Amino acid sequence: MRVDYRIDHPIALHAAFDVEGFTVLLGASGEGKSLLLRAIAGLTPAQGEPFGGMPPQHRAVGYLPQGYALFPHLNAWQNVAFALRGAQRRTQAMQLLERVHMAAFAERYPSTLSGGQQQRVALARAMARRPQLLLLDEPTSALDPVTRDDVVAELIGEVHEFGIPTLAVSHDPHLAAVADQLVLMHERRIIQIGSPGSVYADPVNGAAARLLGHRNVHRGRIEHADGAWQLAWPEGGVVFPIDGRASAEADVDWTIDPEEIRLVDAACASPHALRASVEVRHVSGRTSHLGLRCGQGRLWASMPAGAPVPSSVAIQLPVEMIRWWGREA
Amino acid sequence: MTSSRLPTFLSGVTLLLLAAPFIGLVAVTSWRGFGFADGDGGAIAVSLCYSLLALVLIVALGTPLAWCLARYRVRGLWLIDALLLLALLTPPLAMGLLLASMYGPYGAAGSVLERAGLVLTNSAPAFVMAQFYSALPYYVIAARAAFEGVPRELEQIALTLGHSPWRSFVRVSLPMARLGLAAAVALAWVRALGEFGAVLIVAYYPQGIPVKLWVNLQNVGLDAVYPLLWVFFLVAMPLPLMLGLAARHI
Repeated sequence: MRVDYRIDHPIALHAAFDVEGFTVLLGASGEGKSLLLRAIAGLTPAQGEPFGGMPPQHRAVGYLPQGYALFPHLNAWQNVAFALRGAQRRTQAMQLLERVHMAAFAERYPSTLSGGQQQRVALARAMARRPQLLLLDEPTSALDPVTRDDVVAELIGEVHEFGIPTLAVSHDPHLAAVADQLVLMHERRIIQIGSPGSVYADPVNGAAARLLGHRNVHRGRIEHADGAWQLAWPEGGVVFPIDGRASAEADVDWTIDPEEIRLVDAACASPHALRASVEVRHVSGRTSHLGLRCGQGRLWASMPAGAPVPSSVAIQLPVEMIRWWGREA
Repeated sequence: MTSSRLPTFLSGVTLLLLAAPFIGLVAVTSWRGFGFADGDGGAIAVSLCYSLLALVLIVALGTPLAWCLARYRVRGLWLIDALLLLALLTPPLAMGLLLASMYGPYGAAGSVLERAGLVLTNSAPAFVMAQFYSALPYYVIAARAAFEGVPRELEQIALTLGHSPWRSFVRVSLPMARLGLAAAVALAWVRALGEFGAVLIVAYYPQGIPVKLWVNLQNVGLDAVYPLLWVFFLVAMPLPLMLGLAARHI
């Protein structure tokens, strides 16, 4: 489904893209993502398609706001039945609750349900309206971090089962990674559209890389000095030789994969190694992520969890693995 | 006394202060000679019927205003706030005088209405009008606070689920504001029923309980006041009590 919306107030915003399967619109806070969903749902003045100009009650959308907004004075099945009419509404509500595996909680009130359970009830309620488009606002924000991945897997499974095009807006790269299609928004513009695989492999610029959760995205400048090209990283107080890979001076965002960074003992490091100190060690599974302070900046390095870390650290950074994008003024 | 007991002790003292006049009433009522003055029955009927009518008008006209004030941020809102405050602040007797000068036989609105057959002096409509004016601002302010407590988002969700704004109001705003609205109705009821000053000026007749209490005091004495006062409590209490209970059990 093609979404093309223009909002003038309270912020100016234009977004046009196709919603296919589970589409995630990824953008930082304050980009107006929630506003876009509200505009599509008809809750804020805007021009665009689909549903342009229709009052909210006539738009076939299922809208799940942040926090899900279940009616606190109604129990789970009454919430689902809210959009239903007729004598069969309770039966229909129970069927929808069964589809989201919440039938056992039909008599429970929202305040007694977990974030994930509330989300499933809200999904069933939205589906009761028979929408042509599902809108999810930050669906992972109210979830317990421990169970989040399972809840998201379940949500996406259910969305696929319902077979309704779904637009989720989020700033969570984890959610973006499981999308069928990914749309990146930066400074209120769509900057990249594609499958998560292609977008993650080749972010269009530094802002896109930051949104996708890439670590080690820093500002720098490509300079020509002493007859050679170099990349200056002011925060870290270092320059990297990049001869043969640049041809014009420019402000850039540069990045390096944390796995490409090697830690060596400062005592026996080569003169080109960067002095650093370990700020934080973050173990996840079999990998350790080390936050390394270099001057005013920080680099992240990944290494096997059991690998020894020298007491005084220096970093060897394979310059050929550095990647950069020109930064707009 | 520990600091945690102090609030409990003070609460007890406050409750005792509150109860003192009524304990006094029990003591001073002449239970053996308990009887009613002429016209007390009529006063009870007048009070009940017209207060109910005033309450219906207050709820019918005050609820939309309260909802709008809770939902819309309009320019000059402070003027509306000031108007509500003005209506609250005006002493009841002064309100009666203002009503008489506006709706009385020589008033701007009164003369026009009288030509149309609506007499707003010493008549049932005048009685209801005086009650309406004294209780309306209390209702609007309390109901507005009740509606402000309903998250706007839930009303909007009801719209996205296919309900019209009216159905969204009935199925979400009203039930979610029910406790505050019940308090607002109860407040309006006791204000309307107990109104003396404004009623005295614009509607000495028909006589409701508050004016009749005064008349009994003037004509007969205290012994004719207390029985009617007991009846007043008896008829005034059930509605707010039931409202409170019902709102909690919906």
